Amino acid sequence: MSPQPRVEMRGIHKVYPDGTVALRGVDFRLQQGEIVGLLGENGAGKTTLMKILSGLLRPTRGEIMVDGRLAHFRNPSDALRVGIGMVHQAFNLVPPYTALQNIVLGQEGAGPLASFRTDEPRRRVAALLTETGLEIPLDDPVESMPIGVQQRVEILKTLYRGTSVLILDEPTSALAPVEVHDLSQFLKRLRTGGKSVVFITHKLKEVLELSDRVVVLRNGQVTGEIATVQATPEGLAEMMVGRKVVARVSRAARPPGAPVLVVRDLRAANDQGASAVKGLSFEVRAGEVFGIAGVEGNGQSELVQALTGLRPPTGGEITLDGTRLLNLNPLELYRRGLGHIPEDKARFGLALNFDLAENSILSRQGERTFLGALGRLNWGRILAYARDLVERFKVLAPNVRTVVRSLSGGNQQRLLVGRELSKQPVVIVAVHPTRGLDIASTVYIRELLMQMRDDGKAVLLISADLDEVLELSDRIAVMYEGVFIGTAKTEEFTREEIGLMMGGITPKGSAYETPASAPAAD
Amino acid sequence: MKRLPLPRPLIESLVTISIGLVAGALLMLLFDYNPVQAYRALFVGAFGSLEDILETLAFATPLMLTALTFAVGVRGGLFNIGAEGQMYLGAIGATFVAGLLPLPPGLHLAAATAAGMLFGALWAVPPALLKAWRGVHEVISTIMCNWIAFYLATYLAINFLAEPGRAERTAPALVTARYPVLTEDASLTAAIFVALAFCLVVYLYLWGTRAGYELRLAGENPDAARYAGVKGGKVILLSFAIGGLAAGLAGATQIIGRPPAWSLYATLGNVITLGFDGIGVALVGRNHPIGGVLAAVLFGALAHGGRFMEYHAGVLSELVRAINGLIVITLAVPELWMLARRRFSR
Repeated sequence: MSPQPRVEMRGIHKVYPDGTVALRGVDFRLQQGEIVGLLGENGAGKTTLMKILSGLLRPTRGEIMVDGRLAHFRNPSDALRVGIGMVHQAFNLVPPYTALQNIVLGQEGAGPLASFRTDEPRRRVAALLTETGLEIPLDDPVESMPIGVQQRVEILKTLYRGTSVLILDEPTSALAPVEVHDLSQFLKRLRTGGKSVVFITHKLKEVLELSDRVVVLRNGQVTGEIATVQATPEGLAEMMVGRKVVARVSRAARPPGAPVLVVRDLRAANDQGASAVKGLSFEVRAGEVFGIAGVEGNGQSELVQALTGLRPPTGGEITLDGTRLLNLNPLELYRRGLGHIPEDKARFGLALNFDLAENSILSRQGERTFLGALGRLNWGRILAYARDLVERFKVLAPNVRTVVRSLSGGNQQRLLVGRELSKQPVVIVAVHPTRGLDIASTVYIRELLMQMRDDGKAVLLISADLDEVLELSDRIAVMYEGVFIGTAKTEEFTREEIGLMMGGITPKGSAYETPASAPAAD
Repeated sequence: MKRLPLPRPLIESLVTISIGLVAGALLMLLFDYNPVQAYRALFVGAFGSLEDILETLAFATPLMLTALTFAVGVRGGLFNIGAEGQMYLGAIGATFVAGLLPLPPGLHLAAATAAGMLFGALWAVPPALLKAWRGVHEVISTIMCNWIAFYLATYLAINFLAEPGRAERTAPALVTARYPVLTEDASLTAAIFVALAFCLVVYLYLWGTRAGYELRLAGENPDAARYAGVKGGKVILLSFAIGGLAAGLAGATQIIGRPPAWSLYATLGNVITLGFDGIGVALVGRNHPIGGVLAAVLFGALAHGGRFMEYHAGVLSELVRAINGLIVITLAVPELWMLARRRFSR
């Protein structure tokens, strides 16, 4: 056994208040002067694990040892006190402040004006810069800096607080390739200086380049731990995507029908205005499930929002049964037969403080059936319809006047899926339809989607869960940085090939190059 | 029809009322007053006789309406604090029609009421449009509109509506435009029935119609509203318009439904702060139209009964206001807490 680890986490379990199980008994160890890559798909529990280590979340069960002593973190300051600091994906910087002010913020020492009177902080930051080899214009406002430099400010901020265990959450997701190279140099210097680093990623290439050791998480458990020199992309991909033992939904062979949803050269930008969907073309046929696999943040959300009227596309064309669909609002799209199971049900699909009955008519509130004279709601019909939904889709709820927030995630999703499927759509766009659900609900919802397909509907499935995509889809595309890095019939792909493509590597072994220079923002 | 979502909020409100009363008592003890005696004076003053109850309700009438303005805003996801200005304009509209336009009885009263509501609603339109078109935050725009309304109302009152020879107030409402006084011993008029009816209609509208559903959906979860095809701009306009009608009516009730002045003071002294007070009333009433009515009665009791704390228990009037304020703050805590949580969890 190696010397005493700097940090050791034992048997960490985490159950979120809404019932989602994020971690199921994770052991994690970090030596001094070691760079560990924490690899896994979305929802594998990487970020949860590191938030626990940095004191932001408390584990439901399990213990953390720092230098062999049991530690209890009530908040991030407790973790910082023993030298553990985390740099989050979304930076916490004050845009108009200079880099120096941001780094020192909150650490100015005693007295209201302490910091800005002496040169002490500046000297300390300068020393840190020399030590780490980073270059930052200390007196420029942070808002004028490119993302890569902002990230350095954020890292320095953490180091300034005496961090010797640095946790980086998806540090490369916002960086240009050159900046990734700089980051790798910097991490190595940190290691030479005796510091330990954990970085979270889902990119195989980076984990192979940057780390000494790789820990792979899947579905809240460690599925692999390997020294990077012994790791291969294929091996890592398998550990990452794995095989889950869930009762499988059978997919009967069925000749697909005519194309229903046709997308041509679709382009869309993300919230920051960067191109996120870079000219996608595909079609979904009647009686087929077309699955889009890929790690989240590769443009899937923007694609779905462009398809469903929630985000205006920047180019391209969408047709449904031959009618052009561009620039219609969600309600008009639904009237033309588009059903949508949104990725974030609490955000888009449900109003959590409304009751089941009110949620059952969300997006159907304008239908004649539910209205009386003068735009009055026909509560009799609405209640009857809600009761019917609850019964048909096996939603467990005290009654239809129960507030949806009090239901479990599985029952919320059953209500939502039931509502969307009962609209009799021609095309259904299902995004992460079973994320965070218990097994029974997962299987049930997958069966419903299969049934839609067998009834001759076109199903577009977008999921970060590879098992789901493989199980349900007739054809699969893998999305990476805004494009399809590969498309084929499900039988033509091996799981490992898809795993590699999800990590940005085409099966031939050559790393995939992004066509446009703009990096996909997460 | 949906049941009133009352029981739990009601219990919470009752608990906070008791906490507020205890806090007020502690404050009185600190200043060597007898809280039992003072609260007795407050309660008897507010509810001790039929006249007192009616007087309490007279105080409550405009408050339930300005509370409605704020509540409908919150239900639609807006922080509309423009009731004050909309209420001034409502008072101006009512003053103009009631005092200067001779109309046949019946019609005159209806026209004056309608004018007040309309003026209030119109004053709510600019902030609504600014919000819908340019995303101007409604807190900023409504505060600005409040000040503009204050000076505009003062200007109009002095220069165009003043009673000849008495510059300190406007021409009083003609008798044909006055709501009947319910008893000679209290200033409550039939205007309260109009106010109650308006609150009820808005309640039915919010929970019983498609447009109301969409308004509440937009306030509850704007993303889900977009998903359901609700047009954000329409909701903003509607919410402001309903709020403006309510605030305008509040202003009108103080002119054509509140003896003895039946007119607007040039200082706006007989209407001032009614709009802002409505925010507190709405918070206590959990931003619910019916809850707002109950909370308005409570506020009316504090306003009317508070005067008796001074007479009978000798509590300084400043302290009476401090005690009332304490009670209000405690009452508003649960709803403020929820509002804050909703804002920051996004």
